[in-house]
Parts: sequence; structure tokens; C-alpha cells
Amino acid sequence: MNTRTDRRLMDLQVNRRSFLGMLAAGAAVVGVPSLLSACSGSSAGPTTGYVAAGADVIPTYVPIDYAKPDFPSVNGSTPGFATLPAELVQSVPTPPGKGTAFTAMTPLWGTIPPKSGNQYYAAVDEMLGSTIDFQITDGNTYGDKLATVLASSRDVPDWVCVPTWNLPPRFGSEIVGNVFQDLTPYLGGDKVKDYPNLANIPTDAWRYCVFNGKLYGLPFPGEILTDAIFYRKDVLDGLGITPDVKSAQDLLDLAVEITDTNAGRWGTEDLWNSAAIIFAVPPKWKLDDAGKLVHRVESEEYRAALEWNASVFAAGVVHPDAVADQSGDAKQRFQSGKTLIANDGLGSWHEALRDNLASNPEFWQQPFAPFAGDGGTPVLFKGNPANIFSFLKKSDDEARIKELLSLADVLAAPFGTTEFDVVNNGVEGVHFTRDDQGMPVPTDLAATELQPTYIFLVDGPIANTRVQYPGYVEASSTWQAAASEFVTEPVFFGQQISEPQQYASIAQPFVDLEKDISRGRKSISDLDSAIATWKSSGGDELRTFYQDILDKQ
Amino acid sequence: MSGQSPELSASVAVLPSDVVDDRRGSGPPAPRKRRRFQSQHRPVWEEPPTPVGASLKFLTLAVMVLVVVFPLYTVVLTSLSTQAETLRAGGLVVVPGEMTLNAYKQILSGGIVTRATIVSIGITAVGTVISTVVSILAAYGLSRSNSFGHRPILFVFLITMFFGAGLIPTYLLVSELGLIDSYWALILPGAVSAFNVLILRNFFMGIEPAILDAARIDGAGDWRILGSLVLPMSKAATAVVALFYGVGYWNAFFNAILYINDNEKWPLQLVLRSYVLQGVTLPGSGTGQVDVASGAVTGLPIQMAVMVLAIVPILLVYPFVQRHFTKGVIFGAIKG
Amino acid sequence: MTASDVKDGARSGAGTPAPPPARTPVVQRKIGWRTRLRRDRSLLIMTLPAVGLLVVFAYIPMLGNVIAWQNYSPYSGFINSTWAGWSNFERVFSNPLFLNAVGNTLTITAFQLVFFFPVPIVLALLLNSVITPRIRTTIQSIVYLPHFFSWVLVVTLFQQIFGGAGLINQTLRAHGHQGFDLMTNPDTFLLLITMQSVWKDAGWGIIIFLAALSTVSPELYEASAVDGASRWRRMWHITLPALKPVIILLLILRLGDALTVGFEQLILQRGAVGAEVSEVIDTFVYYQGVVYGDWSFAAAAGLVKGVVSLGLVLGANKLAHVFGESGVYKRA
Repeated sequence: MNTRTDRRLMDLQVNRRSFLGMLAAGAAVVGVPSLLSACSGSSAGPTTGYVAAGADVIPTYVPIDYAKPDFPSVNGSTPGFATLPAELVQSVPTPPGKGTAFTAMTPLWGTIPPKSGNQYYAAVDEMLGSTIDFQITDGNTYGDKLATVLASSRDVPDWVCVPTWNLPPRFGSEIVGNVFQDLTPYLGGDKVKDYPNLANIPTDAWRYCVFNGKLYGLPFPGEILTDAIFYRKDVLDGLGITPDVKSAQDLLDLAVEITDTNAGRWGTEDLWNSAAIIFAVPPKWKLDDAGKLVHRVESEEYRAALEWNASVFAAGVVHPDAVADQSGDAKQRFQSGKTLIANDGLGSWHEALRDNLASNPEFWQQPFAPFAGDGGTPVLFKGNPANIFSFLKKSDDEARIKELLSLADVLAAPFGTTEFDVVNNGVEGVHFTRDDQGMPVPTDLAATELQPTYIFLVDGPIANTRVQYPGYVEASSTWQAAASEFVTEPVFFGQQISEPQQYASIAQPFVDLEKDISRGRKSISDLDSAIATWKSSGGDELRTFYQDILDKQ
Repeated sequence: MSGQSPELSASVAVLPSDVVDDRRGSGPPAPRKRRRFQSQHRPVWEEPPTPVGASLKFLTLAVMVLVVVFPLYTVVLTSLSTQAETLRAGGLVVVPGEMTLNAYKQILSGGIVTRATIVSIGITAVGTVISTVVSILAAYGLSRSNSFGHRPILFVFLITMFFGAGLIPTYLLVSELGLIDSYWALILPGAVSAFNVLILRNFFMGIEPAILDAARIDGAGDWRILGSLVLPMSKAATAVVALFYGVGYWNAFFNAILYINDNEKWPLQLVLRSYVLQGVTLPGSGTGQVDVASGAVTGLPIQMAVMVLAIVPILLVYPFVQRHFTKGVIFGAIKG
Repeated sequence: MTASDVKDGARSGAGTPAPPPARTPVVQRKIGWRTRLRRDRSLLIMTLPAVGLLVVFAYIPMLGNVIAWQNYSPYSGFINSTWAGWSNFERVFSNPLFLNAVGNTLTITAFQLVFFFPVPIVLALLLNSVITPRIRTTIQSIVYLPHFFSWVLVVTLFQQIFGGAGLINQTLRAHGHQGFDLMTNPDTFLLLITMQSVWKDAGWGIIIFLAALSTVSPELYEASAVDGASRWRRMWHITLPALKPVIILLLILRLGDALTVGFEQLILQRGAVGAEVSEVIDTFVYYQGVVYGDWSFAAAAGLVKGVVSLGLVLGANKLAHVFGESGVYKRA
């Protein structure tokens, strides 16, 4: 390949957060060819809009509990386990595989595990009864790899992982029907009962796997809340400050109070995502009082969030490196105490504990209890019911598909089962040892051999099981349970809608505008003109498109 | 004759003292006091620089070196520091604190990096040889501006510099040729760089036509001329182009992402990059299972160690290449 | 004026000029193409491997640019994607951000042509004049290293030094002064990225000039010095002419590349200074096209860029001819 292109592409770690921001801003990554074009002649014609799943499409939900959580789920919050179950249950009595060798493609944000002599793979394969040969790809460039592989049908592996942020354009309209297997005849309705662990996956997650009215994907269930506003509780305790933040202004005041540039300490990172949470900016659409659709960028909430974020920057409490958009190092800054308030995914909580407790036993980060911008009742939007899918390659061989699904059944075994233990921890004695609490302590071999692979294919429902960090499970479970009271579903929650291709990039200018207005390079009046441009270059048509779908429901 | 510089960059000079003493006449030469800027490396005919000139030169060079060495030092130091130390320093480490070899140990254990290095060395070596040979041939073939088809063939090269193919068409071609998962997919598509060919051509065209004409009159064919005459005279250009190609092959990773599915065949750059990718919080990983390997030293030390490991091979190879374009001092002209 | 002229000039000095050699009338024979083909067949065979590789791996995929006239979808492929005429091209030009991107691209190119392009040349000359070989080779072995740093690292390093919380500002603040932020100031962005490019690539750029300089025989310098040429005179008559062909080649190619200015470097700093000053053609195409899988858009933009770049090279070459240089290729 031309070295110039090589140089150009993807040596950069395109900030995943900003990319997701683009998605949230309405850059729906699914589309159809121009509606004006003639029939393209492909076997499954392009489909527009949204086809609701029929009653027999979505698998029936049959929950199983292999272990009782100490902090049960509240309104869908993640259940927490303060201690590990003494006994693990084997959920699938015999390995269902027939010895077939399958290929799978998954992303990885981490180091490549060796293939030959890998005891982890060997153990899981034994549990499955068949082998899965992984083609692992660099996570940051997974989108490019997907695009090329899907364009060349003979290179498509048997099992393909597709994260929601990598869904290629025209996926719903053209790709999924032609490349991947329709799973409705195998899993729809009560048919899923053949696979008890798959039936254990919540309905919302399955609904999100429905494209054009048919079930295609296997989900990795998501949590109801994905992000939170964290602060360094240990540092604030040391400063003698107990935060009492009930409104956006309180947060700003706190940030000003803790900023001390001479000590090399700034109050916050870039809080744009936090602003979106605080001011309840809808992820894409919301309904106004008259029942009409209002797009995120047109909403009052968006405007308020922008104004507030601009005031935060103007107050000088944002770390200069964050002002310079160096978001890749945000975690570093937060964990070293250079900033004390940051927005991040919930996963960063236990990851930070893992990375810091050894050298800094006092380290603790805590999310703020949810609050609204004006001090009223907060509104939190539910996260996607699934964040990662996997698809099976289309095949007429029914036995082959059934075998793959039975393997999925094993991999989806929930917490409390031996299968879950092997997939997540490896082989006892080889990859981990148990301490006196029953906690798995990873060995060095685990770092090389045990990398997330099977996990990207399918998973059981999420559970909070990280008991190795004292106090973590309790803190995070109770926080989520309390926050769940404010969770609401955005419009079109859990629906896969194929958006026309020509509207894909009209929301792009807002990504830059958010940065510019926040940093004072542009003003709110620029937002008005951008909205006007958005409307005329397709925004209004997009609204009509979605309104039609809404009316049909 | 002209245009030839020998490989040896040894300083062979006539000491100024000899000249001075000869002028003085007979008698044992008294040890001469060194005048300022009188270096033993300075050729006889070159006048010493002015104090202003010399100090300016010194200053510029010092700045040049410092500006490069300081960040290098920081990078190496950070790669040898503990994670805690980088947190304390808030990023790159400038003052040595807690040191450890952990980052390197982690990367080099498990044999993956070793295997990837062998893969990369193989690809770079084979690729560089193929590319350089093909480019030399092509450049010489284009070095006579009135040769048959000169202009069209030149344009064949030029156009590739400005028009590229997209990701997908190239991938499809490689797939159709059955090269997916083959090391040749990492060599052949990028084997010819029009830029490098043009550089070589430029050097070839700068050779005295009289020399080549003389050889031609003597009955030598183009192959002979290229092999016995042009190539020995173009060591500098060849070295430079080989270096450019070599670096290109060594640094490439994106083509491996696309064409190599078998993880055992990954080149070094790709494997090293994967160490840098740790520490990413995935959405939905809140309390869920997706996790990077625990216990790993994530973050800055590893990233810096990766950078160092990627540079070290170049550091090792460069001196060998460099001597081909170092200024030399001719000890007597080579009669042509 | 070539090196050989100087040498001859230095050698002949004063003296009666020899009478011009008698010119024998030369019969200009028109050489037929068959003869030329036979004469040059070795040359043609030599170009064959390279041309072959290019045809297969560069030109055949280039046909894929047909998607610029289609509504391309990777699944439908080239055959089945619908025809879009010139609409993709229209979309490129009618995008209001396009003009801004072009403006930025040209500004950056022009600025870097003046402030970046000469730097490796000057440094090469400087290094060339260092007498002690040890020092010279050592410096040479160090200054090229930043070329191998990733842009991510370079931007991080600059941030750590010039950023609002960086070394310089910390020192300023410690002494009670107000800080400044070079990294987020749109007005100084041009200067910033040029500084970054110089730091990263100037050292690497000297390699090719050093190679050119190494082909100059020191005899020339010696001879001209003996004839009384000062060091500046020597530079003007010997050193620079030795560099001229390479400089001209690189200049022409650089002009042809005028529409390509950094990509990764700019994407990394886009949020810091705003898209208005940092959007260039390549990032524009990326954000409008590639990110959304709009391959047709990206292909159309790429074709436009290619056509213009080729035009620029041809134009620059012609310009070189006007100045008496041979450029990349001579006129027929």
C-alpha cells in the first residue's frame, strides 16, 4: 500500500470518546443508498426505516440465577456481589461442540496473546467441544478492517464481532441481510429455550439486535448507565472539602475552590460529556410538548450545556492540556491529582483502583450523586442495551449454525457458573490462584495468555463482581441503584433504524462547534447559524423520516 | 574521477606545521603553537573561521543537538520509570526517580515480540533488497532523456505519486491474488516508490555524461555500464534510497492490519502498538467483564518503552548506511 | 554552471585561449523509432520490473476510483453500485468547509515552503562545514531520530513544554509572570506546526542533501581555494551547484504535493485550536467522507486533489524550464 496512505491512516488513536461523541451527535452509521436511485439489483434489496420486531422474533426472557447478589438490581441497575459464591455451578452439562474448527474476528485493546501452546484457549476449547481460531485486530482500527473484510465476502470469518461504534454504513440496509445469518428461526420466541444461557439475556439487549425486523446479532449486554462524573475523593478529603453538589453552579464553584495553579492542580478535565449528563441533553431526539421530534442540537438542553461548559472553561479551572484537547492523557492527569474532577466510563472506576491502589492505598474516586443543572430532579438517559454485537456468517448449513449457537450458549454463561469462571479467569493454578476470600489472583501467565477474546463474541448479563477492591462493589452498586431512579429511556431506545446515507455527515459540524464554543473560540450565536444550516441541508427531512417511524409505532 | 568519494572518512591531512616549517628552512622543526581553530582535520587550503562565525556555528549546532537530545533523554528515562513515578511527575519524567525495567520485561516476555522482530527483520531485508534493485534498474532505465518511451514511462511513475487507490480496491486486489495472510502482501504492494526512483534517477543523471559516453564507445552495453560504472559511483544515492525503503518497511503496520489475519505473523510495529492500546475504557465495561489484563504496567512507561524499542534497530543500522554519504577526504584523485 | 566548468575555469587561468577546434559538418540523421527501440531496449527491460509492480499494485486498484462517480457501497461492489454522475464532486465543492480547508492548506504549504523547506539545506551545509569527522557523524546520528517519533509523542512533548501547564509556563508562574499557551492559540498555530515539523523532520531531511554533497570532490574546493576563492565564493560556485539538481527536484515534488500537508499532526491538535485554522483538505475528506464510510466522496475528493497536484507539478516543471533548469523532465 502506498506509504503515503499508510502514514495518513490510523496511526493516530482517534479518540474513542470523541468518535462516540460523533455518533451521539446523530451521525447514525447505518444508511441506505439515495432513495432516488434505481434498484441496485442485489439479492436483498435495501431497506429503509424501521421494521418493528414481530412477537416471535425477540427471544423469550427466562432468567436464571446461579448466585444471589448482595446488592440486587434496582430498576435494571447492575447487581453487585460483595463476596464470591463458594460453589460454582456448571450450567452446560456436556461440551456441545462437534469438534469443528471455526474462525472468529474480534478487536483487541491490549497485547496479542500467543496462539500455540496457549493454555487459556485450550481450556475454553475443551469446554466448548470445538475450536475457535481468533483473528484479532487492533481495536482502534477495527472499523477499517471490518469495512474491507465485509467488502470481500470470501474473507468473512464464521463469527464476526461488531462494536456499535464500528457499525459500517448501510449495515442494516445491505450488509447484514446479505452477509450474516438470520437467527430468527433459531432463537426467536420460545426457540431460545434450547439455549438456556442465551435466554437469560435481557429482552432489551435482544431487541437491539433486530435489524429490519429480523434477529441477527448476539449481544454483549450494556448497563443502564455508562458514564459518571468522578472526583478524587481522597484528595478532597485531604483538602478538607466535602463536596455538596446539587446543581451545575455548585460544581463550578467546587472546581474554582480546588483549582490552585501554583500547586499544579486544576479543577477539571474537559467536562463536555458531564455537561450533557447534567443538563439532560438527549442522545439524539426528544419529543417536545406537542409530540414533535426535536433533534439534540436544536434542544434547549444542548444550548444550556454548551453555555455552562463555556463558563467552566472561561473560569480557568480546566487543565491546559485538556483545553488543548489532549484527552488521551486525561486518565493520567486525573490519577496523578493534576485534575480532580473528570468524566469517564464506569469501567474506569475499578480500572483506576487496579492501577493505583498498589502505589497509593488511599486512592479513591467517587461519582457525584446525580443532579440536574438547575438543581431540580435529574434526568439520566439509559445507555444502549448492548454495546457490542457479534454476527454469524450466513450459511445454509443448519447444523453448523446450531453448533455455533450452542457454543454461544456456553460463552454466555453468567456469573456463578464454572464456564464464566474459565472464560474470565482461565485455568486455576495456571492463570490464577485463589486467595482466602476465594478471589482469583492472576498469575503472570494471565497477562500474556488471557486477553479479552471470547468476551467480544457474546456475554451473559453484567454483574459487578470485583471484590478485590475493598468497598468498591458496595459503593458502585449502591450508587447505581440510587441513580437508577432517575433513568429514563430516550426516544427510539433500543431500535436499530436504517438512516438514509445522505444525512450521515450533516451533524459533523457540531462536533467541532462543541469544542469551539466551549473554549470561547465561537459563541452561541454561531450555534444558531449552524442549526439553520443543519435544518436546510437535511435536518428537517431527517426529522420527517423519524417522525414517520414514530407515528407508525 | 570527479564525483567519487571514498568510503573511508579517515582524516588524512597535511599538517599545517609541515608547511610552515618548510617555509622556515632547515633545522629540526620546532613544535608549533596551535593557533586558534587550527584543527588537525582542517585541510591546508581552508582558512580558519572567524571567531563570530565559529561561535555562531557552535551555538547553532549545540541548540540543534540539545533540542533533540533532551526529549530523547526524557523518553528513555520515562521508559525506565515506574508507573507511580510517572504519576508523581504528572507525565513524562524529567528527574530520575523510581526506576525499573518492568516495562521492558513485560514487553519482551512471552516471545511474541521476539517472533515479531524476526518477522519484521525478514520483511525489511527482503523488501529493501527487492525495492532497491528494482528502483535502481528503473532509475537507470529512465536516466537518458531521449530514450525510447522515456516520457510515457516517467509519467507512469509520476502519476502514482498523486493518484492513489482507496482502501477497499487495494484490499480486494490483494485478496484476489491470494496474498491474504502472506508476507508478500506486506512487500509487493509498496515495493516501488516513485519518489525514491526519481531521486536515484536524479543522481544518475548527474553523472558526467562524458564518462558514460567513453564507456559506450569502448563497446560496453547498458547493463555493463550500470554495473561497473554507475553503481560504484552512486553509493551515496543507493545508500540513501535503501535507507528510505528500509525505514518504510520497518515502520509499516497498517498494511499488516488489513492483510494479515494470523496473529503469529504480525510484524513488530503492530505488536508494539498493541501495548500502547492498553488502558482504554470501553463503553459498557462499567462493571462488566471486558478488561485489559490485570497486573500489567499500563500507561506511559510502556508507551515510551515501545517507542525506544522501535527506534533501537534503526539506531543500530544507521551508522552502516551513514558512512556512504559522509563527506570524505580524497587522498589523491582517482584517475578516470 | 557545473562543477566541471569551475574546475576548468580554475585550472586554465590566464593564458592565450586556444583556437576553437575546427568544426566538421555533422550530418543530422533522423533516427527512426525502430533504431531507437533497439538501441534502448536494455533500458526498457530495466524499467520493466518496477513498471510491472506499479501496474499491478498501483494502477489496477486505481481503477477503483470509479466509485467517485457512483454511490458506492462495499457490499454492492463496483458493478452493482448505482451511478451518481458528478454529484459526488458537486458535494465536495459545494461544502462550505471545503473552501476553508483549501485556504488553510495553501497557507500552510506556503508558510512551510519558506520556513521549513530551506532548513534541512542550511543544516546540511552547516554540518558539511564541520571539520572534525567525529563530531560531524555524531551530530548526524542524533538529529535524525525525532523523525521516528510518532506525532502523538511529538505533540505530547510540545504540550509538556509549551502548554499551559508546561515547563515554560510553570517557570514563568513561579516568578510571578503571566503564562501563555502556545498550544491552543489559533493565531500562532502556523508557527507552532512549522516548529513541530522542523523539530521532527529537519534532521531527517538533511540526509539527502548530505548525500548530494558527498559527491563533490574536495579537489574542487582545493583548486578554487588555491585560486583565491573565499569560502562564500566556494559555496556559491561549488557547493550550491552540487545541491541544485536535488533541490529543484524536491521543490517541484513539494509543490506538487502542495495540497497534502500533515494529517495526523493536524488531527491531534484540531480540538486545541479549532477546525477553522487546522482543517486541511485531507482532514476535511476524512471527517466528511471516510469516517462515515462515504467512500465515493473520499474518492471524488482524492481525484480532484490528484488532478490539481499533477497540474502543479507540470506547471512547476515548466517554470523550471523558464529558468533554464531541466526540472524533472526536459522538454521534448
